[in-house]
Amino acid sequence: MNTRVVEIEESLMSKNDAIASELRARFAESGTLVVNLLSSPGSGKTTLLEESLPRLSQRYRVGALVGDQATENDAERLRRSGAPVHQITTDAECRLDAAMITSALSAWQEEPLDLLFIENVGNLICPAEYDLGEDLRVVLFSVTEGEDKPLKYPLAFNTSQLVLVTKIDIAEAVGYDRAAALNSVRQVNPDAQTLEVSARRGSGMDAWIDLLEQRVREKQVALAT
Amino acid sequence: MHEVTVALSLLEGIQTAASDKGVTRVCSVQIRVGALSGIVRDALLFSWDVVTAQTICEGSRLQIEEVPLVVFCERCERERKPRPGTGLLCPDCGTVSPKIVQGREMQLISMEVAA
Repeated sequence: MNTRVVEIEESLMSKNDAIASELRARFAESGTLVVNLLSSPGSGKTTLLEESLPRLSQRYRVGALVGDQATENDAERLRRSGAPVHQITTDAECRLDAAMITSALSAWQEEPLDLLFIENVGNLICPAEYDLGEDLRVVLFSVTEGEDKPLKYPLAFNTSQLVLVTKIDIAEAVGYDRAAALNSVRQVNPDAQTLEVSARRGSGMDAWIDLLEQRVREKQVALAT
Repeated sequence: MHEVTVALSLLEGIQTAASDKGVTRVCSVQIRVGALSGIVRDALLFSWDVVTAQTICEGSRLQIEEVPLVVFCERCERERKPRPGTGLLCPDCGTVSPKIVQGREMQLISMEVAA
C-alpha cells in the first residue's frame, strides 16, 4: 500500500491549555481566587477542606468543585459546611481537565465567588499536566507517605507553589523525618513554600487560612485596579 | 488509567487532523513523550489498540519517541540529565535545577496514512 506522511506537530495539551486560559480570564474578571489541590488518594484533601470551608466562609464567599472517579461522598461531606459544593464525577478519567471545570461552572448558579477550591482526583501523575486556570496550585502529602514522595512525582511538586505536609499530629508516631521531607521538596522545587498542618487537630491551620485570605485580598485588589 | 486517557486524546487529535486532510486510513502514528509525563510505554501501546478499534486508526502502529528529562543547571551553566529518582538535581554538581528544559512533552508529531 502506498503511504504518505502527514506532519501534525501539536501538543496533546494545547486544547486544555486554551480552555484554561479562558477560565483564567474569567476568574480574573470575577476576582475569584482559584486553588487547585493535588495529592495521592488519602492525603487529606477533603478533610482539609472540611475544616477550611467554615473558617473561610465567615469572611468570604467560598465554594468547591470536587473531582472523583466515582461517588458523591466527598461533596456530601463538604456540603455540611454550608458552602456551595459541586461534585464532578470523572468515571474513567484520572484527573480533572479545564473543560470539566467550564462545564461544572455552567451548571452552577452561584454568585461570583471570592475563593474557589478545586479538589482534584487523588492522583499525583495525571493532574500535574492539566492547567485548570488556577492561581495557586497546592500539593499535599501526609507524613505517612514517605519523605521521598516529591522525588517520585517531581512534576506535581515542581508545578505547585505551596506544599502542605498533612496529618502532622501523627508525625512522631509514624517516624516522620522532617529534614528529609523538606529536602525532597527542595530538590524538585526550591521556591515552594511549605506548611505543616493537621486539619483534625488544628495545628498549622491558622497559617494556611491566613495565606489564603491574603491571596484573596490580593486578587481583589488586582480586580479593583 | 492515565494511558487510556492519553490514547483517547491522541485519537481525537488524529481524527481532527485526518478529517482536515481528507485522510481515511491511518497506518502509523508518531508521538513524543517526555520522561516526566508518567506514561508507561506498554500500557499506552495496549490502550492504543483498544481505543482505536473500529476507527480510522484501527490496526495502526503507535511509534513512541521517548524524551529524557533535561534540566538547566545554573551552576554548571549547561543542560544536564538528572539521574532517575534524584528529582531535579544536577548529576555532576548536585545543584537543584528546577528549570525543566525537556521531559514534559506529550506531542503528536505525524501520521503515516494511505496515499
